[in-house]
Amino acid sequence: MRETVITPQTIANPKVHYGDAKASTRHFITQRVTGLVNVVFLGLLLFIVVRLAGQDRADMISVIGNAFVGIPLALLIAIAAIHMRNGMRDTLEDYLHGRVYSLAMLLNTLFCVIVGLAGAGAVLKIVFWG
Amino acid sequence: MSVRARPTSPHLQIYRWTITMAMSIIHRATGIANYAGMALLAIWLVAAAADQEALNLVNLVYGSWFGQIVLFGFTWSLVHHMLGGLRHWVWDFAAMMEPGQRELMAWGTLVASVVITLLIWTVFVWMA
Repeated sequence: MRETVITPQTIANPKVHYGDAKASTRHFITQRVTGLVNVVFLGLLLFIVVRLAGQDRADMISVIGNAFVGIPLALLIAIAAIHMRNGMRDTLEDYLHGRVYSLAMLLNTLFCVIVGLAGAGAVLKIVFWG
Repeated sequence: MSVRARPTSPHLQIYRWTITMAMSIIHRATGIANYAGMALLAIWLVAAAADQEALNLVNLVYGSWFGQIVLFGFTWSLVHHMLGGLRHWVWDFAAMMEPGQRELMAWGTLVASVVITLLIWTVFVWMA
């Protein structure tokens, strides 16, 4: 991306602004709140991985299939996906602009939706159908 | 209204490296690594939800020496990003920002992330 020179005229121009004027505060708060929730997610993830790494399907279903483990896990994966999209948005906003940014943001959303739906969906499938 | 390019600092070429700057860069790098790493978790869970053969394949790949190195790196990346995020929470309350304090916290996240990662792998993998 070619470096755009920011002049006093750019700053004074009321027709341009940095980032999304309305959504940026929401993104900031969302990122802090989901980030704090992710500490809980990492705790649960540690338990799941330590308990189930390398185990067979029956063992995984007996642990994740418990609704008190599976439902929170699915929820926390979805929240982590929101945190992922927001965090990647921060990075993309810094380095990409215009249509390249829009395209990258589209791919970002797509990746997070797929990972979130696949992860949470797989857990819910185990909880409800084994 | 159009969005103008955000100003980027030429920090890498100009300033002497500081620990806070290095931890800021590593926070973003580990965030991107965790972003990709979450796909590994999703693949494992989808395989478990699908059938035993798929799960066997995932267990084989993740249990291989290469898979274990990736998972070790992923563990450190998650722990470091968590500690970095908590550091930002402290800073959001305008605390620990004075010279010395912020460097102490930056070194603290680095040292603690390595210690916690080694502790997790020692207790749950190498000694288990």
